[in-house]
Amino acid sequence: MTSTPSFLNRILIGILGAKLLAVGILLVLLATVPAVGTWWHTWSGAAWRGLNQVFDGTRFPGRPESWLWIMMAIALVILIGLMVAWIAQQGKGRSNLLVAEFDPGAVPGDVRISGGVAEQALKHALAERPDLAGATVATYDVRGIPALKIRLQPRHGVAPHLLAAEVTDLVAALDAVVGKPTPVLIHIGAGARTRFSRAERVR
Amino acid sequence: MSHKLVDELLAGPGEAAPPPNGRQPDMRRVVHRETHSSRAAVSVVAAVLVMGLAAYGLLESAVHAIGQPAWLIEPQLAAERIVALPAGLSPLLLGAGGAVIAMVGLFFLLNAVLPGRRARHVLNSGNPSTAVVVDDEVIASALARSARVAANVTPEQVMVVVSRRQVIVNVRPTSGVPVTEQAVLAAVEKELSEMSLDPQPEVRVTISTAGVIGA
Repeated sequence: MTSTPSFLNRILIGILGAKLLAVGILLVLLATVPAVGTWWHTWSGAAWRGLNQVFDGTRFPGRPESWLWIMMAIALVILIGLMVAWIAQQGKGRSNLLVAEFDPGAVPGDVRISGGVAEQALKHALAERPDLAGATVATYDVRGIPALKIRLQPRHGVAPHLLAAEVTDLVAALDAVVGKPTPVLIHIGAGARTRFSRAERVR
Repeated sequence: MSHKLVDELLAGPGEAAPPPNGRQPDMRRVVHRETHSSRAAVSVVAAVLVMGLAAYGLLESAVHAIGQPAWLIEPQLAAERIVALPAGLSPLLLGAGGAVIAMVGLFFLLNAVLPGRRARHVLNSGNPSTAVVVDDEVIASALARSARVAANVTPEQVMVVVSRRQVIVNVRPTSGVPVTEQAVLAAVEKELSEMSLDPQPEVRVTISTAGVIGA
């Protein structure tokens, strides 16, 4: 329901995991297989000499330090910034508005209905039910379209399809009030509150 | 799962694409998000790990760039030690360190590759703009109730396990009161068909040969 970039997450985690796995396996092989040690000496020695030459060729005139260090520092700052941006993308998507549309009626203008209207109305309608241990309603923004997420925690033994049908009727009533159909996700779940509560015996 | 990934790739991660089919969001995508675990927490851990390494590298390279002595280790010295690696460290320490790094890498890699399904089923409702997702635990407790009523036993004598494609109902009958497998199976299957889950699981009923006394 949130706009977490799931495909990007998979790719970036996969890249990091593959790199760490490769480094770890290389270290284990270095510790156990002597032949890998000789290969590593020739390969990394050559790489290190090449790197040294680059550093020697990029010195500040008249000073021992290379300006590559500054470039490296800048690159690392950019990398840290990208990581912060990546974290900031996680779990976004809550929204405040259920309806935000231009209404070209008798009095033209924008109509905006807060998500709190749906949240309060549905929560109030669900609060009195004896077969529910808890209910939460939240408004999300799914690619520019407001949608509701209703999370229900029924007591033991409640038939989920009957509960879903009744809640769908409530949503239909809400749609009639709001004046347009709202996409809804109903999640019927179990949690600590349902596990330790008594069973509902009447239904 | 793979075609879903392709869908998301085509749509572009995190972009505000124009809503498909008018003013309706793609409910298939919403349901997929809800039945598969999010990698948000793992991503944050990975990002913090990379940020920590980058911050250390930044510190050392900045210190080097202005010609000050290094904080922990001179980059030159560190590189030389890495080049000479099997020497200079005990093989046990090196192997253990490598194994730990490989394990962390495997954790991230598996998190990226595995489908990450949650123990949830989709409930087919007739309404296209309403999606219903149910935890397997809730399905199990509803099926246990109908099995209990059909077998006429107490709640403690019924155990139901719901997995993606299978429902296993275990009934321990009261001693001296026979329970017919057919009746329990019929009751559970009727309840299950009313739910119309996706994917539809198969029901298996086991009546225990040992009874419960005094229930």
